[in-house]
Amino acid sequence: MILTLQNITKFYGRIQALDKVSLQVPEGSVFGILGPNGSGKTTMLGIVMDVLKATEGKFLWFDEQPTPEHRKKIGTLLETPNFYHYLSGERNLRIAAEIKGHGMNEIPNVLKRVNLWERKDSKFSTYSLGMKQRLALASCLLGDPPVLVFDEPTNGLDPVGIAETRDLIKRLAKEGKTIILASHLLDEVEKVCTHVAILQKGKLITAGHVDEVLVNEDIVEVGASDMLKLEEVLKNTNGWSNMRKEGSLIQLFFPMGTASLENINEHCFKSGVTLNHLLLKKKSLEVKFFELTQSSKPN
Amino acid sequence: MLRLLKIEWLKLKNYRTFWVLTILYLVSIVGINFITFWIERKVYEAKQSKGIVELVIGNRPYSFPTVWHMTAYMSSYLLFLPGLLMIIFITNEYSYKTHRQNIIDGWSRNQFISVKIAVAFLLSLISTLMVIVTAMIFGFQLDNPFSLEKFEYVGYYFIQAIIYTLASVLIAVLVRRGGLAIGFYFLYVVVLENALKAIMNRYLDDTGRFLPIQSADDLIPLPIFENIQRQIIKPPEYPILLSTVAVYLVLYLFFINRKFLRSDL
Repeated sequence: MILTLQNITKFYGRIQALDKVSLQVPEGSVFGILGPNGSGKTTMLGIVMDVLKATEGKFLWFDEQPTPEHRKKIGTLLETPNFYHYLSGERNLRIAAEIKGHGMNEIPNVLKRVNLWERKDSKFSTYSLGMKQRLALASCLLGDPPVLVFDEPTNGLDPVGIAETRDLIKRLAKEGKTIILASHLLDEVEKVCTHVAILQKGKLITAGHVDEVLVNEDIVEVGASDMLKLEEVLKNTNGWSNMRKEGSLIQLFFPMGTASLENINEHCFKSGVTLNHLLLKKKSLEVKFFELTQSSKPN
Repeated sequence: MLRLLKIEWLKLKNYRTFWVLTILYLVSIVGINFITFWIERKVYEAKQSKGIVELVIGNRPYSFPTVWHMTAYMSSYLLFLPGLLMIIFITNEYSYKTHRQNIIDGWSRNQFISVKIAVAFLLSLISTLMVIVTAMIFGFQLDNPFSLEKFEYVGYYFIQAIIYTLASVLIAVLVRRGGLAIGFYFLYVVVLENALKAIMNRYLDDTGRFLPIQSADDLIPLPIFENIQRQIIKPPEYPILLSTVAVYLVLYLFFINRKFLRSDL
C-alpha cells in the first residue's frame, strides 16, 4: 500500500473534522477523495503531510512509519499554492528542489510542462490565480516523484487549464504513478479516478474501486409518444427494481448487467407501443454521490 | 545545518525589505555611536570643563578600553531591530503558508525551526561584529593604545542580542500574524516591561530586574559616571544576571520548539 490511514480522528477544539477514517491507497491507483466543502478532505491530507496533528489514529506511508524522507518522494499540492511572493517562479522552485534534495535540473522542464517558462522570472505575486496553481503543479513534478497528492488541482483554472490538468493527471497515471486526488467536483473524480473514497462531515461513507462504489445499477431510459400507455406496458415487464418518471422519459433500474434493451424493445412493440427513445445509462456519479450523502444525513 | 542555511539564504537573498532594514540597521549602529562620540568630543574639548569632566565622568568613554563598553551600551538601544527582522522573516512564512510547504516538500518540523534559531544566532553575531568594528573606528580616533580590556562587554552584547532575537522568534511562532506580532513585541519591549519593572520594583522587593528583557539589558550598565556610580549604584551581580539570562534562553528555546513541533501549522 502507498498510504494507509487507521482510525484517524481530528478535532479542532470542539469541532470534529474527521471521525475514525480508515482507508488504503493501493500502488498505481488514482485515488479520488470526494466530498463537499468542509467534509475533511484537506484536513486528512494535511495530517498525512504532517502539517496537522491527528487527535487520534495513525497513518503509514509505503507501509512504514512516516518520516520527512517519505515526503520528499511525494509531490503535493495542498489547498492553495504556497510560495514566496517576492521571489520569481523559478527561484521558488529552486527552494522546493533544494528542500526535496533533488530535481534541480528539472526546473526548466517542469516550467515548460505547465506553460510557465516565459514567465519564470516574474515575481510570484504578479501571477494570476491560474498561473499560481500551475506553478504549484510544476513544483509537484520536481524530481519525478512516484506519488502525487493533489488537493483541488483545478481550482482557479480556466476551462483550458482544467482540461490540461486532467490530461496531465491521466498521463501521470499512465506512467504508473499513484495519485491521490481530493475534489468536490464529481465529474473530475469520475473522469480520472480508479478508486474513490467519499467523505461527508468527517466520516468516510464508502471507499473502493470506482466501478464498485459508483456503479451498481443499470438505468434504462425509455420514451414514447403515449407515455401513459408506455408506463402501463412497462409495468408488465419484469427484472427491474424501480421505476421513475424523469421529465418526458421513464427510467427503469436494473441490477447491474441484467438490463436487456432488446427485450424491452420487443415487449413494447408487441404490446403496441413504439419507442422513440431507448438508452442504457450507467448510474452517474452525481446521482450516487447525492444518494450516499443524503442517506447518511442525521434525520 | 549548512544545507538548511543555504535554503534560508535563497529565501532572503532577493528579499528587498529585509536587506534595506538590515543595512539601515548596521549603519545606525555607527550612527548612534557617532552622535554620542560627537557629544563626548564637545564636552571634553570645551576648555572650561577640563579636569572637571574627567573627575565626574571618568576616562573618555570612546577611548580604549572603555570604548568596548560604551559602544556595546549605545548599540544595545537598537537591538529591537534584529528582533523586528526575525519577526518579519518568520511571520512571512506563516502568511505565505510556506512554513507548511517546506514541511510538505520534505523538511522535518525540527529542521524548519532549528534553522530559524540558527538565523537568529547569525543575526546576533553580525550585529556583534558590527559593534566590534564600530568600537574600533571610534577607539582609534582617540589617543589611548588598543586594548582588549573590557572586551567582555562585547560578549554581553552578543548574549543580549540573542535574548532579543529569540524572544522575537517565540513571539512570531506564538502570534503567527505579522502586524500583531510586531505590535506586541514593540509594546512589550518599549512599554509593558518597563511598567511591569516599575511595579515589581516597588511592590515586589526589586524583582523587576529578573524580567526577560531587563535582565539582559542589565548586563551592560551605563558606562559613564563610573566614579559616582561606584558610590550610589551597586554594580551588576554577574553570576545572578547570567544565570537569569541562561534560564530565559532555555525557556525560549523550549517553548519555541514545543509550539512548533506539536501544534497544527
